Amino acid sequence: MNWLLASIFLSSIDVTGKRLFFMFPLCLSVAIVYKSTRCHSMRDVPMAALILWVTICLGMLGVGVGLWALFSILV
Amino acid sequence: MSSKPTALRVSIAGFLAWLLPGLGHIVIGDRKRGIVILVTIAATFWSGVAIGGAGATVDPENKKLWFMAQILAGGHTLAGYGLHRSVINSLPPSDKPPYLAHWLSAEIAVHYTGVAGLLNILVILDAMSRAERLSSGNGRKRKLGQSDP
Repeated sequence: MNWLLASIFLSSIDVTGKRLFFMFPLCLSVAIVYKSTRCHSMRDVPMAALILWVTICLGMLGVGVGLWALFSILV
Repeated sequence: MSSKPTALRVSIAGFLAWLLPGLGHIVIGDRKRGIVILVTIAATFWSGVAIGGAGATVDPENKKLWFMAQILAGGHTLAGYGLHRSVINSLPPSDKPPYLAHWLSAEIAVHYTGVAGLLNILVILDAMSRAERLSSGNGRKRKLGQSDP
């Protein structure tokens, strides 16, 4: 059991073709920690973090699509 | 802790927040906030180590700038570095560093662990400011959700 637990952290995993999906959990943790420090009451955190998470993800996807479109036009 | 001078209380809260993200909040009495931060930052950091592997993620020799961000996560990074050393030491001499995972896994891993460390700057500053507010008497009102007079 301990070896199984340790082996999770010892070898890397193959992320080829799935890299975009790793953005979402990272953005979620940024949103949760940021809102945990900013909200006066912890009851407000889930909704505020959810809104911030969606905002960050949509913003980053928007920037990505914009840069991709610009690249497609220029090249 | 109420008899301790404010500077000492603030310093202790800051140090504990660095040592284990979220612990500073727990010690000053903001348990829910501390536990949420502790779980979130620990999950982010160790997800990164799981993605890139301990040998390629917390690596101060080959990823100095990322390590400067990672070390802000305190105890997590020290444990990750211990795991890194044990992986490196178990390798035959011909396979010594740079010990690399697939470049994409390694990139995502250092982003996760680096962001966990950088987020902890926010947490350390927040724990210190809350500790200071508690010492000056405003903390209880804010904790109960009341506005300042």
